[in-house]
Amino acid sequence: MGRKVYLDNAATTYVSSEVLAEMLPCFNAIYGNSNSLHSFGREASAIVDRARDRIAHAINAAKSNEIYFTSGGTEADNWAIKGLAHAYSNKGKHIITSQIEHHAVLDACKQLEEEGYEVTYLPVDKTGLVNIVDLIHSIRKDTTLISIMAVNNEVGTIQNIKAIAKIAHDYGIIFHTDAVQAVGAIRLDVQDMEIDAMTLSAHKIFGPKGVGCLYLKNGIRIESLIVGGSQERAKRGGTLNVPAIAGFGKAVEIAVRDIVINQQKLRSIRDYFLRSVNEKIEYVHLNGHPQQKVNGIVNLSFEMVDKESLLMLLDMDGVAVSTGSACTSNSVEPSHVLKAMGIEDVLANGSIRFSFSKNISKSDIDYVVEVLEKDVAKLRSISALTKAGRK
Amino acid sequence: MYNGLILERFQNPRFAGGLRGANGTGKVGNDECGDVVKIYILVDDAGIITNAKFKAYGGVCTIVACDIACELLIGKTLEDALRISNNDILEEMRSVPDSKEYTASLAEEAIKNAVEDYYKRKEREERKQQEN
Repeated sequence: MGRKVYLDNAATTYVSSEVLAEMLPCFNAIYGNSNSLHSFGREASAIVDRARDRIAHAINAAKSNEIYFTSGGTEADNWAIKGLAHAYSNKGKHIITSQIEHHAVLDACKQLEEEGYEVTYLPVDKTGLVNIVDLIHSIRKDTTLISIMAVNNEVGTIQNIKAIAKIAHDYGIIFHTDAVQAVGAIRLDVQDMEIDAMTLSAHKIFGPKGVGCLYLKNGIRIESLIVGGSQERAKRGGTLNVPAIAGFGKAVEIAVRDIVINQQKLRSIRDYFLRSVNEKIEYVHLNGHPQQKVNGIVNLSFEMVDKESLLMLLDMDGVAVSTGSACTSNSVEPSHVLKAMGIEDVLANGSIRFSFSKNISKSDIDYVVEVLEKDVAKLRSISALTKAGRK
Repeated sequence: MYNGLILERFQNPRFAGGLRGANGTGKVGNDECGDVVKIYILVDDAGIITNAKFKAYGGVCTIVACDIACELLIGKTLEDALRISNNDILEEMRSVPDSKEYTASLAEEAIKNAVEDYYKRKEREERKQQEN
């Protein structure tokens, strides 16, 4: 078969060889239960401790024991929202989040609403930014938690996390951020940014699927989501997934170690892609913030073209992209993120997310733009919408 | 998600594009909902549809449903064309996710609108001739 180019790295990445090498011994050589007292257990426990140290160091946590391993970003988001809301329910039952969060946050908030909590879903502007004034106005006496994602997964907009955390603390409110798309893309320093709780995941940064963590500052209370053991300081039950945790620790270490060089590469790939698209294809719009965004994610709307049809044609040409987040790409509704940003439906319907990795070459981009130009032209030639109709 | 027949047909639709000399056009949908479909028919003096084409703004199933609708139309009388149902189109598509079944109904509606448009145009022409 022909050429293949993977431009869906915001959905997931492959496991890098450095990470895999870290994981492999943990499947059969070091196979103890990290909770066991004997030498097999202690060996596994040492692996977990090292991963915990690596992650704590990478995000500048004050202590390694502030890292709690989970089954991934979704569990960590669910845990943060429900666990913190429940732990502080005697103080109040109001939570503030944004309309463009990942569904792991939004759906957890929906569940809390069913339990009688009140949730404010802050709007965003056309670039995907939460308005700080809106945030301040939405704070109430009974607000206990503010959760705003660091980097949006569909358009790549970077929120003003430090300012938001500062405001939260001025009002004595706990601040959580979903930083799944942020690690390795922007500097994360939980002490400097005054973050109380933060979600991370391994599989977006060349680590394995099925593992993530919640950073929780010491002194912040949380109710357990998963019970059944004394693991993770009795806050999250379940035998630890040692190979995945080992890989996760290594992946975070590498992502933060190589952040400058990776971002330089990603920026030049992204800029070259955008230049080529602008040269070759008409009636294209860039969604998201013009500057305050990560280098790895580009969200484009193609006029007169349906996103599903374009995704499938590109797939037939060996190019893997996504329409919004992978979790919602099977649904027909337009993306909740683009909707919240006020993007017209007809443009949201033609939106495609391209997410790059450092390994994409110039010739890969040339190939992608070549087939993109061809496939967009093909769909426009049979589209029932016309330029005249749009103008 | 989609069967091979649908994917093949989506990649190589046989009846996509405009139709020169079409004497009936059926339009359905609006761009707010994400699907706009136009079916063009060419009807001869005996009332037989001799050619059909479509244009579509929509997903994979929308394009395939229209392509199948055109194939079913060609060679049919106008009366028979009106009998084509969404189920006939779904049958040709073999298996369609529930959330995409509406695309067959869109195509059916476009067929009906095209036939109706043909009748309207003919009536207008006949009236013109009578006036002359």
